[in-house]
Amino acid sequence: MVLLTMIARLADGLPLAASMQEDEQEDFLNSNVPRATGHGHFETPVSTTRGRRRCLQAKLGRDLQQYQSQAKQLFRKLNDQSPTRCTLEAGSMSFHYVIEKGVVYLVLSEASFPKKLAFAYLEDLQAEFHEQHGKKVPTVSRPYSFIEFDTYIQKTKKSYIDSRARRNLGSINTELQDVQRIMVANIEEVLQRGEALSALDSKASNLSSLSKKYRSDAKYLNTRSTYAKLAAGGVFFIMLIVYVRFWWL
Amino acid sequence: MPTESLIGYGAPVCVDSGSDQDGYLQGCTQVKCCPRSLYSLVNCPNFPPQLSAGPAQLSPSLSGLSLQSQTPEALRVVNLLQERNLLPLGPVTPPTPCLPQDLQKINCHPEVFRSTLTSIPQTQSLLNKAKLPLGLLLHPFKDLSQLPVVTSSTIVRCRSCRTYINPFVTFLDQRRWKCNLCYRVNDVPEEFMYNPVSRSYGEPHKRPEVQNATLEFIAPSEYMLRPPQPAVYLIVLDVSHNAVETGYLDVVCQSLLENINALPGDSRTKIGFITFDSTIHFYNLQEGLSQPQMLIVSDIEDIFLPTPDSLLVNLNECKELVQDLLRSLPQMFGKTMETQCALGPALQAAFKLLSATGGRVSVFQTQLPSLGVGALKSREDPNQRASAKDIQHLSPATDFYKKLALDCSGQQVAVDLFLLSSQYCDLASLGCISRYSAGSVYYYPSYHQQHNPAGVECFQKDLKRYLTRKIGFEAVMRIRCSKGLSIHTFHGNFFVRSTDLLSLPNVNPDAGFAVQMSIEENLVDMQSVSFQAALLYTSSKGERRIRVHTMCLPVVNSLSDIFAGADVQAITCLLASMAVDRSVTASLSDARDAMTNASIDSLTSFRTSVLTIQQPGLLAPACLRLFPLYILALLKQKAFRTGTSTRLDDRVFAMCQLKYQPLAYVMLMIHPALYRVDDLTDEGALNVSERTIPQPRVQQLSVEKLSRDGAFLMDAGSVIYLWIGRNCNPNFLTQVLGLPNYAAVPLNMNMLPELDTAESQRTRAFVGWLREQRPFFPILHVIRDESPLKASFLQNMIEDRTESALSYYEFLLHIQQQVSK
Repeated sequence: MVLLTMIARLADGLPLAASMQEDEQEDFLNSNVPRATGHGHFETPVSTTRGRRRCLQAKLGRDLQQYQSQAKQLFRKLNDQSPTRCTLEAGSMSFHYVIEKGVVYLVLSEASFPKKLAFAYLEDLQAEFHEQHGKKVPTVSRPYSFIEFDTYIQKTKKSYIDSRARRNLGSINTELQDVQRIMVANIEEVLQRGEALSALDSKASNLSSLSKKYRSDAKYLNTRSTYAKLAAGGVFFIMLIVYVRFWWL
Repeated sequence: MPTESLIGYGAPVCVDSGSDQDGYLQGCTQVKCCPRSLYSLVNCPNFPPQLSAGPAQLSPSLSGLSLQSQTPEALRVVNLLQERNLLPLGPVTPPTPCLPQDLQKINCHPEVFRSTLTSIPQTQSLLNKAKLPLGLLLHPFKDLSQLPVVTSSTIVRCRSCRTYINPFVTFLDQRRWKCNLCYRVNDVPEEFMYNPVSRSYGEPHKRPEVQNATLEFIAPSEYMLRPPQPAVYLIVLDVSHNAVETGYLDVVCQSLLENINALPGDSRTKIGFITFDSTIHFYNLQEGLSQPQMLIVSDIEDIFLPTPDSLLVNLNECKELVQDLLRSLPQMFGKTMETQCALGPALQAAFKLLSATGGRVSVFQTQLPSLGVGALKSREDPNQRASAKDIQHLSPATDFYKKLALDCSGQQVAVDLFLLSSQYCDLASLGCISRYSAGSVYYYPSYHQQHNPAGVECFQKDLKRYLTRKIGFEAVMRIRCSKGLSIHTFHGNFFVRSTDLLSLPNVNPDAGFAVQMSIEENLVDMQSVSFQAALLYTSSKGERRIRVHTMCLPVVNSLSDIFAGADVQAITCLLASMAVDRSVTASLSDARDAMTNASIDSLTSFRTSVLTIQQPGLLAPACLRLFPLYILALLKQKAFRTGTSTRLDDRVFAMCQLKYQPLAYVMLMIHPALYRVDDLTDEGALNVSERTIPQPRVQQLSVEKLSRDGAFLMDAGSVIYLWIGRNCNPNFLTQVLGLPNYAAVPLNMNMLPELDTAESQRTRAFVGWLREQRPFFPILHVIRDESPLKASFLQNMIEDRTESALSYYEFLLHIQQQVSK
C-alpha cells in the first residue's frame, strides 16, 4: 500500500511534485465497502465497520502529517554522497527512495509492501518525470512547480497497487531489480545521524580530558609512592643506627 | 544548485524616486496632518512640490499655512435643509488621506482597502466624541488589471509581528528597517540588498516590495501544510418535481457544457456530480466506462459513498463522460413524481466526497428541505407581516447547517448556494452553510423557465461569471494593524480561527469584508498608522500565493480633522453590516433606531464640538452631507424596511448581500443612481477602448425629478429599470426602443433592440458600460405606468414619502429636532 509519493530536488530539498496523500488513505480504508455493479440500490454496510474506519482514518491523518514532515527533513539531509537507493524503516511504514540525476523520488509504504515493487514504481516515475520535466528541474524556484505530475503519479500508483497488474509486473521486473543490494537503514538513524556524530565527538573529547586527568593523577600517585618509599628507607636506617649505637656499643 | 531569487513582474508600478529619495526615506517620520481638501491633493497648498526640503523647513511652513488656511472643502458647512442638490455631478469619490504626496501616491487603492475615517483619531475618547464608527472595508481578491508578482526564496517579514515588508516601513540605514506596525527594528537580509528591477546592489528601498502597496508573493514551501490542492468542483443538484418544473437544470447543464473548458484549473482539475430528491444519486464517471453510471443511495439517515474513487474524476481525462452526463441530465428526471427533497444528507455526502482534498461545492436548491437531517418547516406567515411589530425568524431554525459548514471549513470545502424558488425557502437557515464556509449565496425569487425569462437570463449570466471567475483555494486571511489599534468584529463570509485568522476555504474576486476597530492605546507619538491584509491562497494552477495590501493613514488629534477625513460611503456600509448583526441578535426596530441614532449623534457632535458659530438649520460638514440621505436609504432598503410588502427570504438575502458584497456594489444597492437618458449627448463622454460612453448626470431619487416627456434609467445594482414617461419624446421611442408609440411599449421588455441609430448606440453603450462595472449581470426592465414592476421602481425613490416611511425632508426635520435638543 502506497501512502505518500514525493519528488524533490536533491540540491536544496525543494519539493517538485507530490501526490495528495489522503486519496490513498481513502481507497485503503474504503476497500471493504461493497462496490456498485450498476444501477440500483445498495445494502448499507454494518455501521460498526464504519465507526472503526472513521477512527482509523483520524489516526492515519495524524500520522501522515508526521511522516510528511519526516520526508521533508529527509530531503534536506540527502546530498550527493547519500546512497542512491535506500529503504528507511519508520515503525510499521517504510520510506523508499531513489536519487537519479539530481532528483529524489520518495515513496512511503507499509513495511509489508514488496520492496521490489516499490522500487519498480519509483523507477517508473523517474523515467517519466525525467522525460517530461528533467531539463527544467535546475531552474525552477517555486515549490511544487510540477504539481501537475500528480496525475501521472496517481495513475501509475493504481497499476502498481492493483493485485492483478502486480503479478504481471513482478514477472517482468525480476531481473531489473537486485533488491538485496539496496541498503536498509532506519529513518530515525538517518535523520539523527548528525546528532549521533556530535554525541560521539563530545564523548571523545570527554574521554581525552578524562585520560589527561588520569595521567596527572597517576603522576601524583607515583611521586607520592616514591616519597613513601624514601621515608620508609630513612626510618629503617635511623632505626639501624640507633640499634647499633645502643645495643652493640 | 542554490535557489535563485527570480522576480517576475506582471507590470511593475515604478515610482520615479531618483531625486526625492531622501524625502522618501524620511517621509515616514515627516507626516504632518492638516485638514484640507478631499479631492484636490495635487493642488493642495500645504504640500508644495518642493516638499523634499527636509523637516526643519517643513514644519514652520506648515504651521504658517495652517494658521492662514481657510476651512477646507470637506469641512465646508452645509445646511442640509436648504441645500437641495446634494449629489455630486459624477460618482462619489472617496476622500484622500492627508499624507505626503509621495506616500499617498503608493498607498493602497481605495477600491481594495478603505477606512471609514481616513484620519485616525489619537485616542479612543476622541473617537467616542466624534460618534463615527471606525472600521475597514476590504475587497482583497478583486480582479486587478496590474499586479506585481514577486518570486523570492525568502519573504521579508518583521520578526516579532510577522508583518510583510511594505512601502511604509522606515529604513534606518542600509542594513536595518523598522516595522511600521510594531516598531521593531529588523535586519535587512543579504538577498534583499540586490534589486532585480534595476539590477543594482544596495538599494533595498527600491525593491518592488517597498514600492507597491498591493503585490503578490509566490510562497515558498514553508507556507504549505500539504502539497497545493488541485481545483475540485462538485455540483449538487436538486432534481425533485418542483426543481424539474422550474426548468433550471437545462440552464445549469448548458452553462457547464459551454464553460467546461473555461473552468479555472490545470490538468489536475477534478469534477463530480450529485443529484438528490428523496434519495441521493451519485455518478460514476470513471475513465473507460462507455456511459456515466448512476448510483442511488436510499439510506439518507447514514450516508456513505458507494465508489469513493470514481465519483470525483479528472476533468481532462473524463471530459467526454462528463459532457455525456450533462447532455442527458435534464431529461433523466423529466417525469419524476418525487416531491420530497433531502438537502441535508446530500450536503453531508458532498462533504464526505471532498473532505480529502477540499474544493468548491455548488448547491442548486429550489424548495424547503423536507427530509433527513436539516429538514426545515415553513416559518413565514404572511399575515404576521402586517400585525407583528417586529420581523421574526431572521436567525437560523437549526444549527445543522452551521455545524456542517464548520466541518467543511476545517476540510477546506466551501459551499455556494443557488436558491431558485417561488416559495419560502428559509434562507436564514440555509444561508449558514455558505456563510461559515466562505461561500456565496445567489437568490432568484420566482424563478421559472417560461414565466420569468428575465430571471433566466440573469441566472445564465451570473452562472457564466461564477464558473469562469478566478478562484483561490485553501485560503486564510489575516489583517494586522499598528500597535495601539485592535480589530474586534469581522463582517463577511468566513470562519474566524484563532482570534484574527479568517479561514476561507475558497476565496472569490466578488467577496468583500469589513472589520470594526477600536483604539486600545493612545497613539500620541505617532504621525501615521498602517493596516495590512495578507491573503494566502492556492491558485487554480496549484501555486501557493500571498496577496498583500498595505494602507497607511495619518493620526490626528482634533475633532475637526476627524470629520474632515470621514468617508461617508464606507461609514454607511460598515453601519449596514453592523445593523444586520443587530437585527439578528436584537431586533429589526432596534437596528433601525441604531442607524438613525448614528446619524443624529455624529451631526450633534459636529455641531457642538467643531462648529464655532451656531447657525440655525441642520448643519453638516460637506464630506458628511450625504450621510442622512444614505441612512434614510438604508432604512428604506429591502433588508431594513418595515411594512408588509417584503418577503422574509428577500429581506434575508438583502442582508447577506450587505454583509459580503464589496463596497461599490453595496452602495448601488443602498442608493441607486438615476439618469435621464432620452437626451444623451456625447458631451463629457468617456472613451473606453474606442467606444464613446455618454455620462449623464446623476439625478436625485425623487418622483419630482421624473418628467412625463422623458425616459429615465435607474441603476440599482442587481437590476436596472428604464422608465418611459407617458409623453416620452417619440424620437427616443423609435430610435432607441424601435417602437412606434408609447402604447406599443410591452409590459415585459428586457432588451434594448440593436438599432443602427446614434441614439440607440449611445444608450446601449451606456447600459453596457454600467453592466461591465460589476461582476454580476443586472437585468434591464423597461417599464411604463401600467407595468407591474412600477411599484419596485418607485420604492427606490427614497427621497419621497411612502405609506410607512418618512420623506427625505421629514427625516431631516426629525434629525434636526434630535440634534438641537
